[in-house]
Amino acid sequence: PICSNGGASCQVSTSALFDRAVKLSHYIHSLSSEMFNEFDEHFTPSRRFLAISGINCHTASLNTPEDKEQARQIQHEDLLNLVLKVLRSWNDPLIHMVSEVQDIREAPDTILWKAVEIEEQTKRLLEGMERIVGRIQPGDLENEIYSPWPGPASVPGDENSRLFAFYNLLHCLRRDSNKIDNYLKLLKCRLIHAGNC
Amino acid sequence: PPGKPKVTSCRSYDKETITCWWEPGSDGGLPTNYTVLYWKENAKTEQECPDYHSSGPYTCYFDKAHTSVWHYYFVYVKARNALGTNVSEVFQFEIGEVVQTHPPRNLSLLYEVESSKVPYLLVSWLPPEKADTKMGWITLQYQVRLKEEKKHVWEEHIVDQQTKLKLFSLNPGEDYVVQVRCKADSKHWSEWSEESYIKIPGSPRQRDMT
Repeated sequence: PICSNGGASCQVSTSALFDRAVKLSHYIHSLSSEMFNEFDEHFTPSRRFLAISGINCHTASLNTPEDKEQARQIQHEDLLNLVLKVLRSWNDPLIHMVSEVQDIREAPDTILWKAVEIEEQTKRLLEGMERIVGRIQPGDLENEIYSPWPGPASVPGDENSRLFAFYNLLHCLRRDSNKIDNYLKLLKCRLIHAGNC
Repeated sequence: PPGKPKVTSCRSYDKETITCWWEPGSDGGLPTNYTVLYWKENAKTEQECPDYHSSGPYTCYFDKAHTSVWHYYFVYVKARNALGTNVSEVFQFEIGEVVQTHPPRNLSLLYEVESSKVPYLLVSWLPPEKADTKMGWITLQYQVRLKEEKKHVWEEHIVDQQTKLKLFSLNPGEDYVVQVRCKADSKHWSEWSEESYIKIPGSPRQRDMT
């Protein structure tokens, strides 16, 4: 049936919602990796070393699992809420990234399209995750403070620091999108396939 | 002093552990001691390689307990002898950048001929050992290549996450060789799997002599 009014009978199953979320998170991470690699090629090894040594992600304060065992041991409610927090933490920086990429001379042309696409798809993923969490933990949609973005860490007028700030943002996006992708795949295996996947 | 050692590469077969390879510099015939040292992003102190042996000579192995997925690693080698010390360049990486799995396993070929349908070659395989694709910790893309044995040009196909592929329009009566490889998020393909061979039933087509 065509779900015009989204009636109960037409409701998308949680399994289908998870399938969509995992496809989206995989796609977002692939784009983020490509975008980072393209931009990274503009950095000489010495500048890259400096940039990496100064990596500082605004989501670092979120206590996220750092390996598979930690991710498996955490309660799925907590992992779901962590995914929501990380996604929400990227709302403002993605808006900034899209506007910033147009002003950075070193940014290859292909990066703008990816930045716009990532911003749009991340919004969709957040909406999907809020539906999933709403199903699994009704009434638990914490909208508390997540990890607010302090804004670009660059010195106005200093092109180099602006470049490093943008590099830092792309790097953190690649990292966090990989976290979200991994956590969602683990959650899908646990919640939809009861661990038998 | 000793020659400059070098960290040559680091690799993770499963996105859960890491192995680094290193080379000593020249030692001028003097007994020289080598120490592999590393620090992780935002770490205050550096640490010594936790395991010099599990991955063989001139390696450093980071087991699960010493591996964080979303942290940068900075690895270098220090050489010391009676005349002084020398250190390698720092090799930096995040595990996602050095994931390179083992090749896929159990490549099998099956030529399917069903009366009403177009015949096809069913190529199937298993994910590489150690790679946890089931839980979703690693997501793999595969590349299948095949060619007629007597020819030199490979035909290549990309397969996303599936572990089988149907190939149509193969030449009857010809011998084919097939291989498959895979890669995770990083840019590094695995090595190619072992080769598998099959002869396509039927008699070879006559060459068009006109």
